[in-house]
Amino acid sequence: MLFRLIPVSLALALLQVALRFKDDGDLARRLRERDAGAMRELYDRYGRLVYSLILRIVRNSAAAEDLVQETFLRVWNRMQAFNQERGALGPWVLTVARNRAIDYIRSADGKMSAGAMELDHLEHPGQFCDFEDRALSLDRARRLKDAFEKLTPHQKTVVELAYYEGLSQTEMAERMQQPLGTVKTWVRSALKVLREQLTEVATV
Amino acid sequence: MTCDDLRDSYELYSLGLLEGEEKREVEAHLARNCVVCQKHLKDAVGVNALMLSQAQEVVPPSRLRRRVLASVGAERAGWEWVAALVAACSLIVALWLSLEKRTTDRDLADARQTLQQAVTERDRLDQAFTFLNQPETRQVNFGQGQPAPPRGNFFLNPRMGVLLIASNLPALPAGKAYEMWVIPKGGMPRPAGVFQSGPQGTAMHILPGAVDPNVTLAVTVEPDSGSPSPTSDILFTAGF
Repeated sequence: MLFRLIPVSLALALLQVALRFKDDGDLARRLRERDAGAMRELYDRYGRLVYSLILRIVRNSAAAEDLVQETFLRVWNRMQAFNQERGALGPWVLTVARNRAIDYIRSADGKMSAGAMELDHLEHPGQFCDFEDRALSLDRARRLKDAFEKLTPHQKTVVELAYYEGLSQTEMAERMQQPLGTVKTWVRSALKVLREQLTEVATV
Repeated sequence: MTCDDLRDSYELYSLGLLEGEEKREVEAHLARNCVVCQKHLKDAVGVNALMLSQAQEVVPPSRLRRRVLASVGAERAGWEWVAALVAACSLIVALWLSLEKRTTDRDLADARQTLQQAVTERDRLDQAFTFLNQPETRQVNFGQGQPAPPRGNFFLNPRMGVLLIASNLPALPAGKAYEMWVIPKGGMPRPAGVFQSGPQGTAMHILPGAVDPNVTLAVTVEPDSGSPSPTSDILFTAGF
């Protein structure tokens, strides 16, 4: 399951993620300046997270290693387009990693590569600017976890299929052998629960 | 569709999973720079990042770090690393072999020295047996009847020299040795060689060459380089 985590390690991991997301400005500047030391720091900050995410998606350690390398290479090569002042490095790196892994499993399934160009567009560094300070906070990460736990089994399944298997709603319906309308309802209601839980934080 | 109608579509859009009419609607709103939809998209990207950051953490293999950094030139490439490791191992092996050779050379030198000592000792014993087997060799013992004196025998062969075999010799301080003297009748002591005792207080000493058959033999303790004349009391003596 998505949140099958040890509570303490989860808390630490989330804390690390929140801190990483917050203090990446200087690291981004050094990466843009092609500082090799910054690349080592980037890997030390996100390497484990990226590997974990990719392995979760492709479920093959050799392929995961290839895709981790591809992810960091892509980040390195596209760094000039990243806004060091307003950009959020962590979300961008994770999105690149997720998209590389999804593209890999779609290719392996013979679905190559109708969505590759689209993924390329959606992970453009410009998409990862101007987050509010609280958007990537530890508190929101915890809220999101709690919200996920409240979902129904069907809702959890469609969320996992979207994030970790890259299935569209039509593909989910085929996989789950359910009507498309039903799947859309599950997806919308699941996302609404997650979003509302985060919104509650904003209003507390 | 209104912006609110599309509210639940932005996470999927951001993940590249939105299809059909919904996708076209979202793209149309974004193309118009719709502020509300821009905000929804930003929120969705944030939600997705938080979701992706919560995969169960797995420790990657350490080689992956080297590989990733090598691919962007931030660290030496894998084969260079292996080559460096091989070079380091080769150096270690070379050093080990060098040390081993030195040890072997030292052991060999020790063995040669031991062999040389054994050969010398065998020659001395052969010489002693030859000495003892000669019919003209005469024997005089010393130290008999005393509580714990040095005791032993002088063997004198006028043609071959003197052979001393002694036991109960006291241990000597560093820098000292026993010295044998040949004392002719009415003459001064002449040096007849220095020698050390063995661990059990035994010694065998040979003075080669012709010797007057009517001499007195004596032993004193002297500096280990030998003295031209005795400098200490006689330890033991015997006359022929």
